[in-house]
Amino acid sequence: MSDDKPEAEKPAAAAEAAHDHADHDHTGHDHDHADHDHSHAGHGHGAAAAHADGHDHGLAHTTPVWLLFAILGALLVLTVATVSVTSIDLGAQGNLVVAMIIATVKAALVCTFFMHLLWDKKFHAVLFLTSVLFLILFLAMTTNDRGEYQHLVDEYRAQQLQAK
Amino acid sequence: MASPTTTADAAIPQTKGADDNYLTHDKGFASWAFTLDHKRIGVMYLASVLTAFALGGVFALLIRTELWSPGKTIMEHDTYNQCFTLHGAIMVFLVIIPGIPAALGNIILPLQLGAKDVAFPKLNLASYYLWIIGCLCMLGSLVTNAADTGWTFYAPYSTTTQTNVIPAAFGAFILGFSSIFTGLNFIVTIHKLRPPGMTFFRMPLFVWALYSTALIQVLATPVIGITLLMLIVERVFGLGIFDPGLGGDPVLFQHFFWFYSHPAVYIMIVPGFGVVSEIIPVFSRKRLFGYQFIAISSLAIAFLGFLVWGHHMFVSGQSVLAGTIFSAITFLIAIPTAIKIFNWVSTMYKGRIHLDTPMLYALAFLWVFTIGGLTGVFLAVMGVDIHLHDTYFVVAHFHYVMMGGAITAFLGGLHYWFPKAFGKMYNERTGQIGALIVFVGLNLTFFPQFILGSRGMPRRYYNYLPEFQGLHQLSTIGAFTLGIGFLITAISLGRALKNGKKAPNNPWGGVTLEWTTVSPPPYYNFQTPPPVTAGPYDGYEDLVYDEAIGGYVAKKA
Amino acid sequence: MTEPSTAPEAVKKVSAPPPAAIDHGHDDHGHEAHDPIHAANPHLAHHFDTPQQQFDAGKLGIWLFLLTEVLFFAGLFCAYTVYRAMHPEVFVYAHYFLDTKLGALNTCVLLISSLTAAWAVRNAQLAEKKALMLNIVITIACACTFMCVKYVEYSHKFHDGLLPGKNFQPKEQIWELKSFRDRHPEAAEYAEKLSKLDEKKAAPAAPAAAGKAEPPKVEKLERPTEEELEPLLAAGLVGPRSLDPSAHISRPRMAHVFFGIYFFMTGLHGFHVLIGIGIWIWMLVKASKNQFGANYFGPVDFTALYWHLVDLIWIYLFPLLYLIH
Repeated sequence: MSDDKPEAEKPAAAAEAAHDHADHDHTGHDHDHADHDHSHAGHGHGAAAAHADGHDHGLAHTTPVWLLFAILGALLVLTVATVSVTSIDLGAQGNLVVAMIIATVKAALVCTFFMHLLWDKKFHAVLFLTSVLFLILFLAMTTNDRGEYQHLVDEYRAQQLQAK
Repeated sequence: MASPTTTADAAIPQTKGADDNYLTHDKGFASWAFTLDHKRIGVMYLASVLTAFALGGVFALLIRTELWSPGKTIMEHDTYNQCFTLHGAIMVFLVIIPGIPAALGNIILPLQLGAKDVAFPKLNLASYYLWIIGCLCMLGSLVTNAADTGWTFYAPYSTTTQTNVIPAAFGAFILGFSSIFTGLNFIVTIHKLRPPGMTFFRMPLFVWALYSTALIQVLATPVIGITLLMLIVERVFGLGIFDPGLGGDPVLFQHFFWFYSHPAVYIMIVPGFGVVSEIIPVFSRKRLFGYQFIAISSLAIAFLGFLVWGHHMFVSGQSVLAGTIFSAITFLIAIPTAIKIFNWVSTMYKGRIHLDTPMLYALAFLWVFTIGGLTGVFLAVMGVDIHLHDTYFVVAHFHYVMMGGAITAFLGGLHYWFPKAFGKMYNERTGQIGALIVFVGLNLTFFPQFILGSRGMPRRYYNYLPEFQGLHQLSTIGAFTLGIGFLITAISLGRALKNGKKAPNNPWGGVTLEWTTVSPPPYYNFQTPPPVTAGPYDGYEDLVYDEAIGGYVAKKA
Repeated sequence: MTEPSTAPEAVKKVSAPPPAAIDHGHDDHGHEAHDPIHAANPHLAHHFDTPQQQFDAGKLGIWLFLLTEVLFFAGLFCAYTVYRAMHPEVFVYAHYFLDTKLGALNTCVLLISSLTAAWAVRNAQLAEKKALMLNIVITIACACTFMCVKYVEYSHKFHDGLLPGKNFQPKEQIWELKSFRDRHPEAAEYAEKLSKLDEKKAAPAAPAAAGKAEPPKVEKLERPTEEELEPLLAAGLVGPRSLDPSAHISRPRMAHVFFGIYFFMTGLHGFHVLIGIGIWIWMLVKASKNQFGANYFGPVDFTALYWHLVDLIWIYLFPLLYLIH
């Protein structure tokens, strides 16, 4: 009667924030709806049972310990790689590009596993990627613009030096 | 409401103490200072923002008085620079950006969602205290050799001037965090605390507007934060990022500054759109036309707003390529904005219009914002902007949209929700008179400025050629008229707080959820979240006006 | 009759229980005492209905906050990008002053602390109090190690006069640095010769014997090889981008900008580490009171997310500042 489940509607033309429909948590009434994404019914009384790794417990997924160490291992290896690559000369831009690629791989590992994005609502990943997108937009436009008028600065500087 | 007189009122769960509401629930200074109730926080914001508005307005009147005649009228040129800096900084950072979201949104958003509070009440209180701290910092600058850089703090002047830029910049920095936390709170509230049945496309448009605004607040404000921090550090340590004398790039400052400040103007106006979307259907007794379009257009404006910041920088030294890109995208923003205007007008078509005070403000908004918005498109044309940049044309444009848009909408929303928030009705006649005087004053102040600007009068100038005096004087008269209009409105609302008639639950016949609870709402808003089965603008035909209580009730079939 | 009516009041009339049944008075705690979920979950706030809702709201909230942090640092990354694109020599010059080993150590320390933070979240979910507290302590210890290493680096820089902005006065010449000499021994030699030339020019001429005007000795240097010259050009020590073109060798004109950016970025990052330490201590206190379990571990989770972001930012800072080639 009053228990209306929301339809999963898709808005047109997503702007920078996609709407996560399947995960609309509507407020329960005083009876508990067990319609949450990942977890079992949240009748929590905090019992800490032993768990097989990697399955949901309570409100969210629990990361297995072996996975945490595996990711750390990968991150440390990549750190060593980043440092060693600097001894190979790939040209002024090349080293920077390689360093950034390795850093991004590390970042992706941290985000996906340590920060749980792999098992979380997709909306959170969308949010994070959006912020990175805006960062890139800001950097790209500004650097590009600076590049475009840099010649004016250089010419002025050259004039100044000549005048000395 | 001592004894409910209709069955509709009886159905709303009453509290034990019949008159108990959020205002009377707890007494004493501490109960307000440490409150976690969104309604009380909203009321505190309202009082603070209106006070700051009065202060900013005083500076405005000082400016306009000085400009009554060329040369010195009442102050020296350095003081004049400080006056317009403070006017701008106070109005932008203390009044309009927090304005509708923090003052009206805080009170109304959870009510419209049938929720008990916002998602993070403590963060909400923290936002308020950050506002207070930011305000004190700005006042700190005010009373001690106030900054004179203009509210835009352009380098290298801002990095080298001897006035107290640091407290003003730091104040704005703190206010940025206040804004971010409010936005964050609203996004989570809207995602997680909607009632059963309220999908995204059944949310009131005020909620959509607050959502879009909150997205901008969260994405854009950090950039001004770091920019102001860099400015402060450059002043103290001589970093050399913005100041060309130290090897820096002043155009870089402008990129940084406008990356936030352009989306900021959408923070200022999009909530106003939301308010107008609420008022027009109610006072036309007609379903809103094109709900989905208005909802999506708010998001579109928020998104596009991030791509156009360079249109403030056409003559700054920015490359022509960048300018072209920014100019083209700026034209695009006119489209979702126009969609809203068309939809609002279409809503009124064949409606039964009630010209109550909120509706007067909404109608004023349509007129004034259209002018302001269209003149923005003129300025988006690079060739035109070269002549009009830094003239009074720009000043007129942004005052039309900010004063005529945001403030008009704010006042309309204030009058619309005043009975709900405070449980009192204001005198309708006085409200209408105030609205009319504000409208006249607005146009009288700023329309001459379009002419001044196109004839070449530069902005932020203390002195001017005698040929401009007539228009300046007209503008000054308008400014004082505007002030009188605000004063009348303030007195009207103040008197209503003291002696106003008791307000019914639904004086205007709205169908959004806030009108289903008592005026003023009880401490906890709703016993249970009311289930929603229809759109937010459906059902006007099911309400009928009841003379006895002076409000709308459900029709008995 | 009124069924098809969609007005909220009508719906509410049908659905709301009669007032008497739920009249808990105006005591807001009162109406929760009747609510079994709130009674069973003392950490469930009054405006949330279930622990899941509270957790989800908090998660979304912290992710939004992280979004703002990314954009906060974006400004600094932008300044970095612009200056590195326009003045690469400054960055080449400056990186010789930075100790890559300490930077790498700090990176590893933070990565380990990220592990313990993520592990702590698991501990909180499973109500493993001892392990939780241990992991938090290790995280804090790693963070403090990071700050100590930072302190060592900063004090070296202050000692060497490598201060931000207008206070930039390097005490050592770059070609005297071990890092430069190891990489470019020929260039270092050549640079020494050039600087000696400058010293001779600057030094007052030897007092002429009475009457005799001795022409200053003009020492001619051989044409430099590419190995000798290229690193000096790349580092802006000679050439049009140097500070003093009239001298034979100096430093890049904009060298102070790098250090300004360096101190600002690492300083702001360090400030975030300090705040993180404070919050972790708070979590430690809460953990010691046995507050966390399957239905309430949000605060640990959210703190860990913040901490991972701090780590993420350092993952990018490290190559950008320390591994410039």
